[in-house]
Amino acid sequence: MKRVLIADDSIAVARQLEKVVMSTGEFEVIGHAKNGAEAIKLNQTENPDIICMDLNMPIMDGLTALRNIKALDREVQVVMVTSLGGVGDKFSEALKLGARNVISKPFEAENVLNILRGL
Amino acid sequence: MAVKFFGQFLVERGVVSREALLEAIALQEATNLKFGEVAKNLGILSDADIEKVHAAQRTEDLRFGDMALKLELLSQAQMDEVLTKQKNDHLYIGEALVQVGALDGEALKKQLADFKADQAVYQQDQVVLPAKVEASALCEMIVDLSYKMFTRVAQLSFRPGAPLAVKELAANETIATMEFTGSLSGTYVLSVSAPVREQIARAVFSQADVSDESLEVLEDTVMEYVNIVCGNIAAKAAQMGKQMEILPPAIFRGPGNMPVPEGQVGLLFPICLADGEKVEFALFI
Repeated sequence: MKRVLIADDSIAVARQLEKVVMSTGEFEVIGHAKNGAEAIKLNQTENPDIICMDLNMPIMDGLTALRNIKALDREVQVVMVTSLGGVGDKFSEALKLGARNVISKPFEAENVLNILRGL
Repeated sequence: MAVKFFGQFLVERGVVSREALLEAIALQEATNLKFGEVAKNLGILSDADIEKVHAAQRTEDLRFGDMALKLELLSQAQMDEVLTKQKNDHLYIGEALVQVGALDGEALKKQLADFKADQAVYQQDQVVLPAKVEASALCEMIVDLSYKMFTRVAQLSFRPGAPLAVKELAANETIATMEFTGSLSGTYVLSVSAPVREQIARAVFSQADVSDESLEVLEDTVMEYVNIVCGNIAAKAAQMGKQMEILPPAIFRGPGNMPVPEGQVGLLFPICLADGEKVEFALFI
C-alpha cells in the first residue's frame, strides 16, 4: 500500500483529501503537514511514497517546499493540489521542479485517485 | 472543475504525460521570443539598445516596445512590424504538443473542443461596477467569477443585489479575507451568516450534516472557499494576460464593522438568498 503525506494548511482540504485517498484501500495517509516547512520535516522522518501538497500555504509555500524536498529526496512523488493550478506559470514551474502532476481545486475524488494511481 | 490552462487540462486527464508537456513548454519557450529578441533578429534593435530599454524599465513601468518607442530606438512602423512577427510566429501549447509528437491534429481538435466545453461555465457575463475603479476589466471578471463560484462550488441559489461603494463592511458571523497583489492589489472579502457558513461547509466537505463541526472547522471551510475562488480568479487573470498573486486566507475578528483601509475603494456586492440569509462579498482596492 502506498504511503501518502498530505500538506495543506486547510483542515477542510486535508480532511477531504484523506477521505478520498483512504477510500479504496490502495493508499494510506501517514501524516499531515500544515505548511511547507512541516512537509520537508515529515518527508524526512516518515519517508512517504507520495506527497499531496498545497501551493498557497503560510510560513513556507508549496513551491519552495517542493524545491527543497526534491533536492533532498528524488524518489518521493509530489502532486500539487491547488486552486492556482490554472495559473500557467505556477503549473509549469511545479512540473519543472519535479511535481508529477497538479490537481485543481475544487477536485473530484475520481480524478485524485486516477492521478495517484498513475504515479 | 476549475479555471485551467490547456496543458494542465490535458495532463490532468492523462491525455499527455508530464514529460511531453514539459517538452512542449520548452519548445514554446524557445519559439515564442520576447519583443527585444524579435526586434534584434529583424535588425531593428542592437544588444546595446535592448540594454538601454531594460535600464529605463527599472525606473518607469512601461512595456518593452512602448519604452523602446519612447526612447526613439524604433519607429511606430517598426514596432508594429515586431508585434506582427511575434503574433504570426506564436506557438500555442496545443501546436507545440503536436510538434513534439504527443498529440496528432485530430486529437488536438477534439481536446480543444472538450476544453472549450469544460471552461464555458467560466466565460464572463456583463457586470456593472458601482464606482469608477482602476483595472475595471479585472474587477468585472472577479465579480462575475465570484457569482459563478457561489452557484458551482457553494451550491447556493441567489440573486445578485445592487452593488455599491462603501467605507466599511457590516459585522457578520464570519468574515474571511484574502489579500492579493500584482496587476491589481487589494483584499477579497467574503462575509457570511452562520447558516451560510454551514452551507459552505456542507459543499466543501460534500457531506449532508455539519452540525457537529467546531467553529474552527466551519471557519476553515469558509477560508478554503475564498482560497478556491481567489485561486480561480488568479487563473482567469493569467488567461487575460494579467498577474495576481494571492496570500493565504485569514479571518477578520473585529471588533465591529470591517473598515475599508485608508486610500482604498470598497466595492460591496450583496448576495440575496431566498431565505433572507445575509451574504456579501467585497473588494477593497
